[in-house]
Amino acid sequence: MRITKSRVARAITAAVAVGLIATGCSSERDADNESGGAKDTFVFAGAGDPGSLDPALASDGETFRVTRQAFEALLEHESGGTDLVGGLAETWSSNDAGTVWTFNLRKNVKFHDGEAFNAAAVCANYDHWFNWTGTYQSSAVSYYWQTIMGGFAKNEDPETPEANYKSCTAKDENTAVIEVKQPSANLPGGFSLNALAIHSPKALEEYKKQDASAKGDAITYPKYSQEAGTVAGTGAYKITKWNKGNSEVTLERFDDYWGEKAKIKNLVIRTIPTEEGRRQALQAGDIDGYDLVAPADVTTLEKEGYVVPTRGVFNLFYLGMSQSANPALKKKEVRQAIAQAIDKENLVKTQLPEGGKVADQFMPDTVAGYSKDVKQYPFDTAASKALLKKAGAEKLTIEFCYPTEVTRPYMPAPQDLFELMKADLEKAGITVKPKAMKWAPDYLDATEAGSCALHMLGWTGDFNDGYNFIGTWFAGFDKQWGFKDEKVFDAVNAGSKMGKAEERTAAYEKANVAIMDYLPGVPISSSPPAIAFGKNVNPPNVSALTQEIFAETSFK
Amino acid sequence: MSVATKTDKIQRLAELAAVKETSTGASLWREAFRRLKRSKMAVIGAIVIGLFIVLAIVGPYIAPFSPTAQTWRNEVFANRGEFVGMRSENWFGLDHLGRDMFSRMLVGARQTLLVGVVATMIGLIIGFVIGGLSGAFATLGGDTGRRIDSVIMRFIDMMLAMPSLLLAVSIAAVMGQSLTTVMIAVGVVQIPVFARLLRGSMLAQGSADYVLAAKSLGVRKRRIVLSQIIPNSLSPVIVQATLSLATAIIEAAALSYLGLGNPDPAIPEWGVMLTQAQRFFDNAPMMAVYPAVGIIITALGFTLLGEAMREALDPKLRG
Repeated sequence: MRITKSRVARAITAAVAVGLIATGCSSERDADNESGGAKDTFVFAGAGDPGSLDPALASDGETFRVTRQAFEALLEHESGGTDLVGGLAETWSSNDAGTVWTFNLRKNVKFHDGEAFNAAAVCANYDHWFNWTGTYQSSAVSYYWQTIMGGFAKNEDPETPEANYKSCTAKDENTAVIEVKQPSANLPGGFSLNALAIHSPKALEEYKKQDASAKGDAITYPKYSQEAGTVAGTGAYKITKWNKGNSEVTLERFDDYWGEKAKIKNLVIRTIPTEEGRRQALQAGDIDGYDLVAPADVTTLEKEGYVVPTRGVFNLFYLGMSQSANPALKKKEVRQAIAQAIDKENLVKTQLPEGGKVADQFMPDTVAGYSKDVKQYPFDTAASKALLKKAGAEKLTIEFCYPTEVTRPYMPAPQDLFELMKADLEKAGITVKPKAMKWAPDYLDATEAGSCALHMLGWTGDFNDGYNFIGTWFAGFDKQWGFKDEKVFDAVNAGSKMGKAEERTAAYEKANVAIMDYLPGVPISSSPPAIAFGKNVNPPNVSALTQEIFAETSFK
Repeated sequence: MSVATKTDKIQRLAELAAVKETSTGASLWREAFRRLKRSKMAVIGAIVIGLFIVLAIVGPYIAPFSPTAQTWRNEVFANRGEFVGMRSENWFGLDHLGRDMFSRMLVGARQTLLVGVVATMIGLIIGFVIGGLSGAFATLGGDTGRRIDSVIMRFIDMMLAMPSLLLAVSIAAVMGQSLTTVMIAVGVVQIPVFARLLRGSMLAQGSADYVLAAKSLGVRKRRIVLSQIIPNSLSPVIVQATLSLATAIIEAAALSYLGLGNPDPAIPEWGVMLTQAQRFFDNAPMMAVYPAVGIIITALGFTLLGEAMREALDPKLRG
């Protein structure tokens, strides 16, 4: 046996292999089988698999990215904008109190399964959700229904909020009236959520035969939501296949679509988890576009001729504090010391995408309700040290959790952001104990349960109402923050029960001042997440809400 | 590599130690050392390792800057792909958070060496105990001993059958993210190699005349094993340890690369640095090149020396 050479060779190979991995030579998928001639398939890559094909069961962007192409809600956002426009309802109105909502529905709309769209179909959907039982009532499954409409006809868990939904009546073929008990800041914005998109009544009958089940925290979704065939909406594309092995959902143009038909026949939405993987797939021509572009790749791609449109700013990235996890945080001086220790300007300048802004409250300045009068906590390490001394917390040790292997629209490189903030805190004399966690479920669970003293999270708005931001965090006691302050809660809730948008805006401005006086955490930035398309693609209108409609896409 | 060839190679290494009844342990080592000095491979390997060890020891003291201080964080724009390369102040440029790359390389050497040495020691010590027991049972334990040996060896074979990186990743995943985990994971992977090697080598010694002589004189079995067989079976194990160090460093880098290393990413370690640099490869390729070259050269150094030692100790090649 000649071991000598082979051993040396093996070591060299191994060393070279490590080097190669470093250069990011990831394996590439097979090229698409283009059938020559004009391209009739648009392939787009997201970062994660959808959880279900029924948007009503979802609360994450990766799912909505797929379902938004096939399902439409009563209201939609203006293409590329944040203003509400008619969707399946052409026009809508409400009574003065904001409790009775009347929708004049679009005519000649067909579902993918051939059923006709009408007021009865709208009510069938709302009643279906309202009458959910069992696992469907879990907030992990029906998050958005509960956020917008409260609980159910019969709440099974005392923790479930009381139902705000009252009824849906089909006044005539094309008029649906939805009534709620209390006016809510989530309306009419909530009617535009893809989670409340309208399904075919025939499909609903199928849904009702199936049940979701849960074992501990793991939810098993009903079968209809896990394979194409049953779900049917009204969108410009219909879902034809979900190949879970290849992490690919295939959609096909719906020829009976009521509006402008999709310009490209086939749409494939694929999952490629890493930023590098997505970028390389685009450069290799395997895909025609992808979302969540690393900020550093934007210039590279632009230079190479790719289309990288800029989205609007509609998100918020913050440093969260859980007072229950570290009692020192109960002192405002300590929270303020942390806020003043962090060089937000540097984070925005060096890490966040071009167009990113430093945030001074828990709302981007593009949302109605943003206040110009909130208290400022400028970066000042010396002031931070002094505050800690005043609070008797000079030797503060604090745990700081950060997620691994993830990028979010508001948070492009969590580990780098973490390292920078950690260094800032250490300069102010705080000892930081780092804790790396997998994004889902570990990190999300830990932050939600309030077991991470410091953590990084953010939020992309669903619709343009301030409550969708501040109400998400500060409407009441929340384990993530672990504090009770009636002044803050009252200020936040004051706006939520007002029927008129202008009144709400004024109330939110006051709420923002109250929140920043209390300083529950540190708002850091708002930034436009980047999205990229191939050189031969006319991209859709990009949306600040990250709600792109691919039917608008075409090839050059 | 298939399990069969892996096992074969270990067996072959073990055999090498067998054919040396004529010489005592001491003279074998002396001769081997003489041959080593003549081998160019060994000299180069030794110089590389020497430099690396010196670097690991003095690195933190001669580093011009703190490896964790983001002194120049306002000059690096990771979001725009603007990095700072070599310049008079920072010889290797800056990393993505405005830290001095040269200082990080120097300080990172210690962590990298530490991982390699500790991991190999874990593998060596545990493998030594298991292999030693197994070998002792097999040579002097009679029928029962051979059966016990057989059971232990099947267990070791099972461990060998598993791809080493997969095994290491599984261990690291169960134990959570830390540098200790990486060391243990990489060490455990080495256990079966050392165990099989020592046992094979001991089996070869077991039938040697001096063992027979000792037995005939009525020396107690434990003594025969500890003072006769084991010292004479050591050389292949020592060679393997040198070779393992190279693999350990590469595997530790791979684990850090997969994000299973130190939870504080600020602490420099070459594998971690390589991982972090990957994201910026398009704009700042040198950030990846420094740690990659560091790992390659070090691994090569250990491999060269290990190879040379193996050849020097091979009686069949004796001139």
